[in-house]
Amino acid sequence: MERNSNDVPGLLSRMPDNTAFKQQRLPAWRSHLTAWAVLPGFFTTGAFFLGMGILLILSAKSVKEIEITYTSMCSNCAKLRENASNFYKECTCSVPFFIPEKMPGNVYMYYKLHNFYQNLRRYTISRNNRQLLGEDITNVENCAPFQRDSNGIPIAPCGAIANSMFNDTILLSYYPHSSTRINVPLLSSGITWWTDKHIKFQNPRSNNLPSAFTGTTKPPYWRKPVYQLDPENPENNGFLNNDFIVWMRVAALPTFKKLYRRIHRTGPFANGLPAGNYSFDIAYNFPVTVFKGEKGVVLSTVTWSGGSNLFLGIAYLTTGAVIWLAAFSMTAVHLKMKKRNIVSES
Amino acid sequence: MSGIPLVRVPFRKQKKNEKERCLQANNKEFNEKFEYEHNAIKTAKYNFFTFLPLNLFEQFQRVANAYFLFLLLLQLIPQISSLVWYTTVIPLALVLSMTGVKDAIDDMFRHKNDKQVNNRPILVIVNGMVKEEKWLNIRVGDIIKLQNNSFVPADVLLLSSSEPYSLTYIETAELDGETNLKVKQALVVTSNLEDNLEKLSNFKGEVRCDPPNNKLDKFTGVLIHEGETYALDNEKILLRGCTIRNTDWCYGLVIYAGQDTKLMQNSGKTTFKRTSIDHLMNVLVIWIFVFLIGMCSFLTIGHGIWENQKGYFFQIYLPFEEEISSSALCIFLIFWSYVIILNTVVPISLYVSVEIIRLGNSFYINWDRKMFYIPKNTPAQARTTTLNEELGQIQYVFSDKTGTLTQNIMTFYKCSINGRLYGDIYSMTGQKVEITQDTEKVDFSYNNLADPKFSFYDKTLAEAVKKGNPMVHLFFLCLSLCHTVMSEEKVEGELVYQAQSPDEEALVTAARNFGFVFHSRTSETITVMEMGVTKVYDLLAILDFNNVRKRMSVIVKTPEGKVILFCKGADTIIWELLHSSCKPLQDITMEHLDDFAGDGLRTLAVAYRELDEESFQKWIQKHHRASTAVEDREEKLGLIYEEIEKDMMLIGATAIEDKLQDGVPETIVTLMKANIIIWVLTGDKQETAVSIGYSCNMLTDDMDDMFVIDAKESSMVLKQLRSARRVMKPDSFLRTDPVTKLISQSEKKNFILPEEVPNGSYGLIIDGHSLAYALEEDMELELLRTACMCKSVICCRVTPLQKAQMVELVKKYKNMVTLAIGDGANDISMIKAAHIGVGISGQEGMQAVLASDFSFAQFRFLQRLLLVHGRWSYIRMCKFLCYFFYKNFAFTLVHFWYAFFSGFSAETVFDEWFIAFYNLFYTSLPVLALSLFDQDVNDLWSLRFPELYYPGQNNLYFNKKEFVKYLIYAIYTSFVLFFIPFGTTYNSVRSNGKDFSDYQSFTLIIQTSLLVVVTVQVGLETTYWTAVNQFFIWGSLAMYFSIMFLLYSDGLFLLFPQTFQFMGTARNTFILPQVWLIIALTVAICLLPLIVLRFLKMDLLPTQTNKILAKIRECMKNPVPPPARTKLRRTSSRRSAYAFAHQHGFGALITSGKNMKSR
Repeated sequence: MERNSNDVPGLLSRMPDNTAFKQQRLPAWRSHLTAWAVLPGFFTTGAFFLGMGILLILSAKSVKEIEITYTSMCSNCAKLRENASNFYKECTCSVPFFIPEKMPGNVYMYYKLHNFYQNLRRYTISRNNRQLLGEDITNVENCAPFQRDSNGIPIAPCGAIANSMFNDTILLSYYPHSSTRINVPLLSSGITWWTDKHIKFQNPRSNNLPSAFTGTTKPPYWRKPVYQLDPENPENNGFLNNDFIVWMRVAALPTFKKLYRRIHRTGPFANGLPAGNYSFDIAYNFPVTVFKGEKGVVLSTVTWSGGSNLFLGIAYLTTGAVIWLAAFSMTAVHLKMKKRNIVSES
Repeated sequence: MSGIPLVRVPFRKQKKNEKERCLQANNKEFNEKFEYEHNAIKTAKYNFFTFLPLNLFEQFQRVANAYFLFLLLLQLIPQISSLVWYTTVIPLALVLSMTGVKDAIDDMFRHKNDKQVNNRPILVIVNGMVKEEKWLNIRVGDIIKLQNNSFVPADVLLLSSSEPYSLTYIETAELDGETNLKVKQALVVTSNLEDNLEKLSNFKGEVRCDPPNNKLDKFTGVLIHEGETYALDNEKILLRGCTIRNTDWCYGLVIYAGQDTKLMQNSGKTTFKRTSIDHLMNVLVIWIFVFLIGMCSFLTIGHGIWENQKGYFFQIYLPFEEEISSSALCIFLIFWSYVIILNTVVPISLYVSVEIIRLGNSFYINWDRKMFYIPKNTPAQARTTTLNEELGQIQYVFSDKTGTLTQNIMTFYKCSINGRLYGDIYSMTGQKVEITQDTEKVDFSYNNLADPKFSFYDKTLAEAVKKGNPMVHLFFLCLSLCHTVMSEEKVEGELVYQAQSPDEEALVTAARNFGFVFHSRTSETITVMEMGVTKVYDLLAILDFNNVRKRMSVIVKTPEGKVILFCKGADTIIWELLHSSCKPLQDITMEHLDDFAGDGLRTLAVAYRELDEESFQKWIQKHHRASTAVEDREEKLGLIYEEIEKDMMLIGATAIEDKLQDGVPETIVTLMKANIIIWVLTGDKQETAVSIGYSCNMLTDDMDDMFVIDAKESSMVLKQLRSARRVMKPDSFLRTDPVTKLISQSEKKNFILPEEVPNGSYGLIIDGHSLAYALEEDMELELLRTACMCKSVICCRVTPLQKAQMVELVKKYKNMVTLAIGDGANDISMIKAAHIGVGISGQEGMQAVLASDFSFAQFRFLQRLLLVHGRWSYIRMCKFLCYFFYKNFAFTLVHFWYAFFSGFSAETVFDEWFIAFYNLFYTSLPVLALSLFDQDVNDLWSLRFPELYYPGQNNLYFNKKEFVKYLIYAIYTSFVLFFIPFGTTYNSVRSNGKDFSDYQSFTLIIQTSLLVVVTVQVGLETTYWTAVNQFFIWGSLAMYFSIMFLLYSDGLFLLFPQTFQFMGTARNTFILPQVWLIIALTVAICLLPLIVLRFLKMDLLPTQTNKILAKIRECMKNPVPPPARTKLRRTSSRRSAYAFAHQHGFGALITSGKNMKSR
């Protein structure tokens, strides 16, 4: 019954191949949690986290930052804006403040909104990138509920994001002496991502910007059409307006700040903002009290790790400490158990 | 996704109810009117054109796919679509097409298999010519020619055969597992047709019989031939699946074909098997749905509150949509939006991934060279590819005996003649030598009638024969005379024996080789060639075997004129009948018999008695009277036989080895060490079953007791079962016993019988009669309680149905995973009933294989299938499921945290493309590699330490508790994944002064952290890092980053500005050091606690498995020592079974002369 099958070719025809893969013998490295791998690993990781935590905290501490919330300071204006009928009434407000320490290097000016939900689902999708590319200016698809005005004319730029654009103007003045007032020179360039400014947003191709936007109308909450956003710099108009681009990059969280201006480092401000008295002169246009929001303005220097947020540094420091704690306890347990095992074995 | 059940009838034509089958031989036109089933079998489901619609229809019947279709429809409603349609379409399309491809491949195999079976050759008589045809072309009413050793292709009526009286011997192992030959006999009127082709093709008999049914042992019908009506019964029918034996040729008329055959009717039902993990998964998916609904409701309420407090005032910037009038509607819509977003907790790719993993692990089984059986060129085969991980959870193995544990080959192994033991061989130094393949065999060349296949190793016996030792001669003479074997000399010098039992054949063959060749017999004589001299003995009487007598004798008259009675039988019986002078010899022989029994051999004692003519004559007259008696003939004959079978002289004893398959005892020991309980269910008789139980170490002498349940009445069976239980666990009869309490209190149905610990180790043997009572509803619990307390259980003389009932019984009350293994058609029912069915393959056309889920050629491969493949599959599947749920929960729940900061507006926290690709491309390959390659220890170690199998049996690696653990871990991970980036970006800026917390950057940071965390996590789960794992893990990360840069590139944005609006985010964000610091921090915070936990657990609360693994690692530092081959000692001193067929012999047939050729 049992034949010697080696004699006959083809008798082992169904023999599986002897490959490492098919026989599950692939060469491999076996990993498991040995004390020799885990404990030194924990100590090193812990050391890295502790060091990094200290470094991050130090650098965040080096940042000078001043934040002023002006909703309550300009309560008159805030009141005025709560009524939509006062839409075209101007309201300005001056907020004096004091910088106790010099702010060296580059100083950035931000506006900050509290309780403003730029991340609502319907809000974030209410835009049309094709229109913003300047290709098809009347394309207002997806822009509900701000697609067209009551006459059916397409809005440019359309959508809820564009319509709700922050439109306060903030000027910064420096008072070296109580009587002297110097307007701090502010740059509105260089506040956007390069990719946004050069690829994502394009004006419609035309020699004359206003004519390029014919057939469209301004968003209802805007005072001026999109091609007149910056009266001083004709390049900074239309969809390429820096403030507009910054606004259109929606924030992830309901409290956020967006870069508004950079301090132009000339004259007395070549090394940053000197300590002393300052004031913000605000043209208060943007209503926030209706939805219980607040707005503020922030001046800040930066370091390699960003701004003054201590979170990352503290998180690193704590994590590092906990890792070391864990490492020490694991070592203790391990040594004890090893001893016990040796005792029990002998 | 089903496996490839071959024998099933999915798409059978609905036919009109057949009341009676009517057919005429050789009359095509007549038979075609009835549209009987053709002999082709079809198990394939699809053809080229029906595949797509049918397959899609089937796939959408699955809950998961239907659910995703529903989601897709939801997403098409703009008001609630929180995700774009392609996030669902891409995965769904992929899943559907992969399943489709698998189904197509499965079906192709089915087509191939069908074709192979349908295209087997068969000889059909057409117009007086024998023509070769394929099986599928056989029609009802055809006359076919069957040759020796060929399969019967359909149910046929036997017409004539080459043997006298048209007897036809068949083996029905395929149908009922019995390997002894059975005789079928044709009607006289048809046997006259012989092999006359002309007569056969002019045969116009008409058959009227039952419609197709599944009763294997019943057939009623009539044959109408030339106006006469003849009754037909089962004795004249050859069933599909039988094999023709010892019959050169026979002719048959096809009655049932194809699906109508009894075999196919019997194997029609194929239940769709699902693993326990499948069931658990279904439960978990329901949990997850509830969880999902809960979360969505919570978030919807949150949205309602937010809308009231904030959203209402925020309307100046985002007015409510015009169509949505009320805030209630708006809130209702948010619920569905969240259902869409959070649907990824029930991952669409889960089911398809599980199938892929099982398929992969099935291929390993097919590819395993260590489960390839070289002599038969048979690889192991995973026929069902959906049950793999259950192989790692087996707790009960139900095994057939014949053909599964044993080879069903009997060999004459040892003997004891006149107080001397032959068969052991000793080295020069007098040491007993183990017989191996290289041991020199006894040279039988002096005997030209010797059977070349016979081998014997002890030369002293051959020398004793040559020297003419009279007792040795007498011994072999007895073996060559006292039997019911028939011989045939087809070619000069080549004898072929036809025996009813393999034991008898072995004895007669042994005598033949030693020079006492049984040559031929007539009804009155037996011709024996004694050492080359032909002698004719007059056969005076055959005192046939039956189960009570346990012996058979012949009375012959030697050529010298002496009347001698030769007897062989069970030693215990013969002992009583010996002459008192035999006592000393009896004692020595007894010792030898104990020896044989210790080796698990089947023994017979051999004795003779010289009779004087006178007393014999008296006796024969009494015998004649008794044999013609009308009443109680059996009993009267028995008494007469006893009169003469006394005062016999002992010659010796024979020892026959019922050859076990290779490695069976070792395998059983290993499996038992792995806590697997083995029950043997056999159709064979009790003595053989018990003897096999001893020889494969299931029963041992150190067992405290062995209970035999063999009562013939219901009440007695109950009593025996109870008394067995009383011995094993007397406490269990107290009212306070928890199990007894449970049984008395609970409803009869649906409860789990707890484990009960007996006070020792016991064996249970129960026979089919008792089992029939014990399996009745009022006694089945009693049976199960007693049986489960025993270490080994052997059921003998059981029917196929009882086999299945035993399996069902354990399944019903024990909630444990069962496996049934067998080779014959009588095992099909239990193979189908058990969670896993294993068929022994190798012999062609084995029906058990066709019904099985896994098949291989040798029983010993079972340990590899379970301990290596099963264990790996189980561990891999568990790791996969834990990880899979973890990664999807971690992924989805981030949305939950974000909801609190986005006004519960169903805003996603990830890019939509990320959601679409996450499960399919970014995280699928590493975990796939994990679940295809991972092995904690290699195969050698898992066989060396069967204890490693426990966790699977106890379902420790994936259960509800583990699931909840991973769920909590996932919630923690998602919390970290959201709040670390949140804290870092909140109120923060970039180093160039631009703001940091824009939505797109935030999204990118979270999704990158998530991906790194889950990828490192899979690395943490991986214990076996092959190149593929490395490649997939690093490749997935690399792929993620490249796809990110691609999706966020200028080109795609300019083409589809609305779809790819994240343009530039990757470039502007990945350059920031904070981003990388965030990723490092989240990885550390997510994973280090897990490492600490695992490390401490290993030190403080190591499980048994941990300890073994540690031990193995310790060993692995040194080179692997060769596996310790423990030579299993059979210590049994039990007297083993007598070697006889368990049926009446052919004695009556022989003395009537019916089966003798007229020469």
